[in-house]
Amino acid sequence: MPEFMTNIGDLLTGSYLQQGALWALGNIPGFPPIIQTVHILGIAVVMGSIVLLDLRVLGLAVPSQKIGEMTERVMPWLWWALASNFISGAFFLFGRPNRYFNNPVFGWKLSFLIPAILLALVFHVMSKTQTNYWEFNTRRIWTAKCIALVSLGLWIMVAMAGRWIAYSEYIYFPA
Amino acid sequence: MLNTFLTSPKWIDIENWPISWEIGGTWLFPLLESIHVIAAAMVVGSILWVDMRLLGLASTRYAISTLNRELVPWTWGAFTVAAITGFGMFITRAASHVLNPAFQWKIFLLVLAGLNMVYFHYRIYRHIGQWDDAVATPTQLKITGGLSLILWAGVMLAGRWVGHIV
Repeated sequence: MPEFMTNIGDLLTGSYLQQGALWALGNIPGFPPIIQTVHILGIAVVMGSIVLLDLRVLGLAVPSQKIGEMTERVMPWLWWALASNFISGAFFLFGRPNRYFNNPVFGWKLSFLIPAILLALVFHVMSKTQTNYWEFNTRRIWTAKCIALVSLGLWIMVAMAGRWIAYSEYIYFPA
Repeated sequence: MLNTFLTSPKWIDIENWPISWEIGGTWLFPLLESIHVIAAAMVVGSILWVDMRLLGLASTRYAISTLNRELVPWTWGAFTVAAITGFGMFITRAASHVLNPAFQWKIFLLVLAGLNMVYFHYRIYRHIGQWDDAVATPTQLKITGGLSLILWAGVMLAGRWVGHIV
């Protein structure tokens, strides 16, 4: 884990943010499973937006939807879901900072998440510049397919790594 | 009778299958669990558009039947993966899961979601031609779409809660 990450963990330890998160997690009845469910529902929207869009671009799903129209329609859902997941995730990050900022699996999650977000941003922004931008010519179609394939893999790995944060000992301290 | 079923020693036998020990004691459990989460998210993420369309809130430029035809196979595929991985996790602690209130709620809500789907498919869908392209959908469609969203979110919540009780 890079040092600046563990530094963030140290900074948060004992802070008001940690105290607030721990208070909410410990005192609001059912708060941990509820907030985790909100987080998973956010992942469901990621699946329903960018993952389905990637599958569409690759020619594997929803063939009757136009790529340009679909991009405009589903991407706002992705951005809202990510905003929601940053908030729901923050309760757990702030509550037990070292469990995340000192955990290589969380590092992996971020290293999948950041390029995944950047690719989605590129795809969305370019799509706004011209109607059917990604279907304009063969070169763009193939660029879009490459982006979609990488994006698909990254989002799956984000969710995968997210779940494995709790199981890092299986990877780093195998029996 | 339900009590006899839930406290049957058969559940312990399931926990003692060699495969149950293999999953429960190795990295197979987190692997199944992470696939389960991704598949469950895909179930909700794909059915979401059909439900939002039934509510008249999204994808209104597409016919209900088109969305249904192109999205529901993804829902079913993801559901199958979730069911297999879920079964793999269930057998590692079968006896405690059947007595776990969160697990019982999850199964109950799954059955309700299934009934809602059967009702939609066999009672409403055969007359879909009348409203296939309608943006302002009739109340009947709104109820079944809304119920689906609420029930699946409930399945998620109950499912997530299982791990907080065992």
